[in-house]
Amino acid sequence: MSRKSERLVNLTIALLATRRYLTKNEIFRSIEGYEGSDESKERMFERDKDDLRSLGIEIEVGGFDPIFNDEAGYRIKPESYALDLGELSSSDIALLSVAARAWNGQAFNSVAHSALVKLQSIGINSDIDSIPMLAPRMVVANDELVNVVQAISTKSPITFTYRSQDLQNQKRSIYPYALASREGHWYFAGLDLGKEAIRTFRLDRVEGEISVGKKSAEFEIPEGFDLFSQGEDAIGSTIATLDVRKDKALALRKRALSICEKGEWDQITLHYVDETSFLDSLLWHLDDVVVIGPTHLRDAIVNILSTIAVNHASR
Amino acid sequence: MPHAKPAPIIHTERLLALVPYISAHQGITVKNLAQVFNVTTTQIIADLTTLWMCGLPGYTALELMDLSFESGFVSIRNAPTLKSPRTLSKEEIISLLLGLDLVRESSPNNSEILNSVAKLSQRLSQKAGVGARFRATNPVASTIRSDIESSLLKQENLKITYHSLYNDSVSEREITPLELRIDNGVEYLFAYCLDASAFRVFRLDRIQKLTIKADRLKAVKSQPVLMDQGFTSQICIYSRARLMKERFGLENAPLNQRIAIQAFSRQWIIRSIFASSASAVLLEPSDLAREIAQKAQLILDRYQAHSPA
Repeated sequence: MSRKSERLVNLTIALLATRRYLTKNEIFRSIEGYEGSDESKERMFERDKDDLRSLGIEIEVGGFDPIFNDEAGYRIKPESYALDLGELSSSDIALLSVAARAWNGQAFNSVAHSALVKLQSIGINSDIDSIPMLAPRMVVANDELVNVVQAISTKSPITFTYRSQDLQNQKRSIYPYALASREGHWYFAGLDLGKEAIRTFRLDRVEGEISVGKKSAEFEIPEGFDLFSQGEDAIGSTIATLDVRKDKALALRKRALSICEKGEWDQITLHYVDETSFLDSLLWHLDDVVVIGPTHLRDAIVNILSTIAVNHASR
Repeated sequence: MPHAKPAPIIHTERLLALVPYISAHQGITVKNLAQVFNVTTTQIIADLTTLWMCGLPGYTALELMDLSFESGFVSIRNAPTLKSPRTLSKEEIISLLLGLDLVRESSPNNSEILNSVAKLSQRLSQKAGVGARFRATNPVASTIRSDIESSLLKQENLKITYHSLYNDSVSEREITPLELRIDNGVEYLFAYCLDASAFRVFRLDRIQKLTIKADRLKAVKSQPVLMDQGFTSQICIYSRARLMKERFGLENAPLNQRIAIQAFSRQWIIRSIFASSASAVLLEPSDLAREIAQKAQLILDRYQAHSPA
């Protein structure tokens, strides 16, 4: 293993240091580790190129000389190899380090760590005292997040098993467009190839693995695609008026547009999008909340309450 | 992880990363270097030995990298070609972008930080060509977490204002923090509550306010937080199986069948049944079912009384 990696390091150094393209013959002659018949050297070199490319190292092919026999040459451009984020201050490095450390123990832990090591190798000291004490934390319930990110960045399709509303396991294939978290859950959205429409999925409702298609650049991501203005969210919202008991229903008060005191109760107004889930959250607050309007919301909650009363009456 | 890389590739990646890291940290100990790269010291010494054989074609003392590490301190000379760290991969950039989202979220009023974060995010997303396709948020205020972390470090007590969801009430308590834990995507603080004289678990996103008490009253030994025994209930699910599975924390949620659930609080069961909007019904215990029926009737009566005619 170390002979192979030694050869790869030497190849990288030689291709980086050269100012002109190196031909295969020059490489075989001068770089240590290429041995055996011409054919086996050739095979070794092809694999080595693939391996370096899999590490994200760009190897340029060029330098065809029209006078001599046109043999291809290879080099690595230092500007494509080396990290360059423009001018960075010590507090920039500190901020990026805090950003990387947010992944501690979570999905992208090792990826963020290797980014951190690179940042610490630039030679600029991180000035952690220049920024306030921060402890941002990334929290991901499903490590398959890594695969979604990879698929979006390479524009590859993904396939996975999804728990539908009625708990059926469905096979879904999508072109993933975006990934975002909200209120403690991660969502991803994209073009559902079966439904031929944009769909949003919650990451923790995926069963098992998310597999990423081999082909890349299979689709284009629509300009300005916004995950949270899709589907239900796109259909505008309604304003509800509620009476809530003093010091109660904090979760609803947080969302209030207006609060008007009236003795033992306060009257609040707030937006809601999906009536069904809004009713669920109103009912959680039991007798601390009374719906004043709109009428259809009031009728709906009265209906559900009657059903609950009947369902539990004869037990 | 997607498509795990073969061992020689991972090894090469580490070798290429070691050179610039040592260049920027001349004299680092072998032990620290091993920690940074998450490998054993034996492995690091093997890596350094391999690197020692690497250099420019010719491979004489003039072209080889010059490493010294026998003393336990590592330094490198004659490695100009690999001195700069490698460019960030797409995934590394995305991990940083998402992390920066949280930094931005945790300092909403600091314009200096916001400007720097905006500048860095823009440079990074340009590099990766990914635009704004990724966004991270965390419901927990970062200042609350950093205060807890520092109080854990300094072993100080905390005064917290906590919103209990089951009781829908806010209370102030003094606690001795013991451990931060992440479970199933939710952050928790395990602590000893001085007001309740018992171990308690708090969700970080429900802590509304927090102050550090410099005077520590007494040391509390860390020990597992024991839950109350709880009681068994029987429910039946009629619709919205996925939602009910998540709400009641079930392994599976077959429709129209008796399902036993373990509960620790009557309040929680009552609220959960109401918030299921008749998708689930409580069968047992019967006194709890009766309480639910009475409560529903009570609310209905109020609606009748306040009928907007």
